[in-house]
Amino acid sequence: MANKILLVVPEAPAPAGEAVVNERAIDKRGIRLGVLDNSKGNADHLLKFIVDAVKAAVPVASVVSLRKASVSLPAPKDILDRLAGEADVVVSAMAD
Amino acid sequence: MSDLSDLLKAPGAAIEADEDFDAINALYMERGWSDGLPIVPPTAARVEKMLAYCDRPWNESIAKIAPRYGEATPLRLAANAVMAGCRPEYFPLFMLAIEAMCEEPFNLYGIQATTHLCAPLVIVNGPVAVELGINSGHNAFGPGTQSNATIGRAIRLALVNIGGAIPGAGDMSTFGAPSKFSYCVAENEADSPWEPLHVERGFAKDTTTVTVIGAECPHNVNDHESLSAEGILTTIAGTMATTGNNDVYYDALPLVVMGPEHAKTVAQGGFSKADAKRFLQEHATLPMNRFSKENIERRFRGTLKARYGESPLDTPIPVVQRAEDIIIAVIGGAGKHSAFIPTFGATRAVTRALRTGEGQLAKSVKDFRR
Repeated sequence: MANKILLVVPEAPAPAGEAVVNERAIDKRGIRLGVLDNSKGNADHLLKFIVDAVKAAVPVASVVSLRKASVSLPAPKDILDRLAGEADVVVSAMAD
Repeated sequence: MSDLSDLLKAPGAAIEADEDFDAINALYMERGWSDGLPIVPPTAARVEKMLAYCDRPWNESIAKIAPRYGEATPLRLAANAVMAGCRPEYFPLFMLAIEAMCEEPFNLYGIQATTHLCAPLVIVNGPVAVELGINSGHNAFGPGTQSNATIGRAIRLALVNIGGAIPGAGDMSTFGAPSKFSYCVAENEADSPWEPLHVERGFAKDTTTVTVIGAECPHNVNDHESLSAEGILTTIAGTMATTGNNDVYYDALPLVVMGPEHAKTVAQGGFSKADAKRFLQEHATLPMNRFSKENIERRFRGTLKARYGESPLDTPIPVVQRAEDIIIAVIGGAGKHSAFIPTFGATRAVTRALRTGEGQLAKSVKDFRR
């Protein structure tokens, strides 16, 4: 029977507790839908289908659609702030 | 400085296993803590030897590695370095490379997660490159040198284990690349006719630096015939000019690796590095009509409308927007070859100097000994 040995774990866990999900007070008129186009080819088309599908499924009070300048870079703060302020739910597309 | 045995008592810091090489390898493979090759078991004793070359607190985060944003502590990094087969004296450079690639302009999140096949390339300059025997000559990008192979491998293991670049999950590369196993070289400063890369980027010659580049694998440039600077640079420019190259669509900093023989011919023609870059920027172009109809419509007339919206179809499209954005490094041994290394595009090369925990420039890895 082999002896036991202590080994160091090379892995780091994902940071915990940084994202907080807010309670959403959805207005009776419907959700405020946010759309973040990541500027991939056809993302705009895919998002239009999704917006139409969401509207068909649930009441939608408003839609705010924004587009990132580069698919390969994170969305800048002003875009994130606007989505946080004007949307209850955000759909971000990826469409290769 | 905490005692290692105390640090290993923290939840999740260590595991107990049978003292059996095959069983340990099977365990680490099963947990996804491997690159597919056998690993050296990161025993507490081996990790402690590695940390003998770390003069910073072993449990302090030195960086957060995207896309998971896991905390890179010297302890975790040392486990990965042991697994990769690093000698302890390599540890300071490995840590430095991780810190450099976590700087925001590098865009490690994009490089790790993209469908593109890029990987962080590490180019080491300065005296520690020589001290550690990092290969800058024949087969520098290939196998055969422990420092190149294992520093590069340790980086990949850390990117997976700490950063979460798990193939098919955090790393969505369509193809992957052999450079994702290991991608670390030194510049061949001794055989270069020009100032080294780190001097060009603002550091003293006797400073040790790493430069990280979000790069593809090298593409060879064979030119056995040209005897002039213009001839060799024309061949390199022709190799750079391709339609499927990310760099065409971004304000990118692609890398031209000049073999020492090509570099000497170019320098003997009176070309400084800056002259060579200007020539390459001017000649590495393709007429717009060489690109597909859809790319012309969607990229050049769409995303890049401000630049090319009204341009006629025979407009030369440069691979690089500004001459100074081309990075030139002299690497390799004898032979009439150079290499072009395109990048991810949405990334900036980052150069960092090797400093001790107290912030002093390190002259030797011995400066890090505890």
